[in-house]
Amino acid sequence: MAYSAEISRANPSCFLFLIDQSGSMVEPIAGSDGKRKCDSVADAINRLIHNLIIKCARGEGVRNFYEIGVIGYGATVGPAFSGPLAGRDIALLSEVANSPARVEERVQEIDDGAGGVLTKKTKFPLWFEPRAKGTTPMGAALDLACHTMQNWVSRHQYSYPPIIINISDGEATDFGPVPQAEALTSLATADGNVLLLNCHISSQPVAPIIFPESDADLPDEFARTLFQVSSKLPDNLRNLARNENFVLGPEARGFAFNADLVELIRFLDIGTRASNLR
Amino acid sequence: MEPSVNVFWLPKHGNSAEEYEDACAHSLPQRVFAVADGATESSFADLWALSLVNKFAEAPPAIKPPATDPFREWVTPLQKEWHAQINWERLPWYAEEKARGGAFATFLGLKFTGGGDPEKSGFFSRLFGGGKSNEIRWHALAIGDSNLFHLRGDTLLKAFPFTTSEQFNSRPLLLGSNPARNKQVWADIKFAEGDCQIGDLFILATDALAKWFCAQIETGQKPWTILKGLNSDEEFAGFVDRLRSKTAIRNDDTTLVVCRWVESQPQAA
Repeated sequence: MAYSAEISRANPSCFLFLIDQSGSMVEPIAGSDGKRKCDSVADAINRLIHNLIIKCARGEGVRNFYEIGVIGYGATVGPAFSGPLAGRDIALLSEVANSPARVEERVQEIDDGAGGVLTKKTKFPLWFEPRAKGTTPMGAALDLACHTMQNWVSRHQYSYPPIIINISDGEATDFGPVPQAEALTSLATADGNVLLLNCHISSQPVAPIIFPESDADLPDEFARTLFQVSSKLPDNLRNLARNENFVLGPEARGFAFNADLVELIRFLDIGTRASNLR
Repeated sequence: MEPSVNVFWLPKHGNSAEEYEDACAHSLPQRVFAVADGATESSFADLWALSLVNKFAEAPPAIKPPATDPFREWVTPLQKEWHAQINWERLPWYAEEKARGGAFATFLGLKFTGGGDPEKSGFFSRLFGGGKSNEIRWHALAIGDSNLFHLRGDTLLKAFPFTTSEQFNSRPLLLGSNPARNKQVWADIKFAEGDCQIGDLFILATDALAKWFCAQIETGQKPWTILKGLNSDEEFAGFVDRLRSKTAIRNDDTTLVVCRWVESQPQAA
């Protein structure tokens, strides 16, 4: 059965984030009190990497159940980790855990267990910094992702297939994204094809469309194109999404259009919880 | 009569013995048996599971359903002990954050009373308890999906807390080392008890094996015949490996305690 491989240190899986860093990412994201899209996306990615590390931490270490990569596309296209991992396309989860670019201290509100709220300083490690410059070379980013994943799947034939999460606020300005996305999702391990999830984030406070089954309600050609190249969700991801109160049918695709900040985080959370993690 | 016991365990395939996160302990003189299954997704769950079973074998709490207070009070010092065992200063940021959430484990405790037990056969008990003082009764307490099976001859008298293989697919509440995470656990503790006769068999197993056991019964098999015939770690490992290779059980840490009540051996002079 496809998409059922156990995720283990012997057969890890992989998350690769493709992040739009074009000039328009300075605009505010819908539902975020004026926070810039590039900042919201950077926060979401850093938080997500943080959560993955905590999920895989055991005792004094972290187990390499995953490998992680971030590719940015804007004025340039390339690996987008900052700090010690700069220039690396893919890194082991333990390397990521031990090599944040910097660690901020943030104040978090927590339940005091007696109906009140306590504030607590927590460490917030950062691996990825916001950037917003240039156009939207999504095709080139998908092309780089394809090359990176070609190498990865050849080394991990028995792994749960890599999940690629592409976050953008607009249309590709290069020759993409259809042929590159198709080449990427044609790659496979013995457990299934590489999964491509696309998330369009919005400046407009209009209702998002998440995990649709068809392109019938999508507003324009760009949205329909992104829908077309988004992977159909395998059973385990669909069940996870249902448990998180998403309404979705058997043909649902890993696609979100006009996602606001809340939906972006919910979408990413589902995307990274593929697990049969052991 | 008196209990005899066989204990077997095997880490999940692909993990080392150091990574085994189930735990089991017993005391034949006290007639207590316990298993716990440390939750793999939490940190230092092995320490937590081990601390629970060891303390149960050494000084078990009173099991007085439906009261949960004796158990809660019994757990509190163990939570402090778990916390004190961790070298917090040495942990990297992620290990510290993970451990702050606490460790989680299932817990199944079984103890026997009566039949010459000091609690039941004191002067007043003998005076007012009549012939009942020789009856042996078992008392069990469970949190999560580690399971007990009580057999008499070829009859399964009790499966506890789960009775069907389907129930093992749920995600049960687990006992946490962090007191703040146990609010819902106390109301979810399960209790059971019954009588015990010579020849009775009590099987304690963590979830992978317990689920297989229930599934076997559902298809008309008698899984206890295999389990009670196991005599060595090698036999147990071979048996579990065969089940794993047929995917008849989940690849998980696997623990089995087989307690059998036998005629007391005459004391050596």
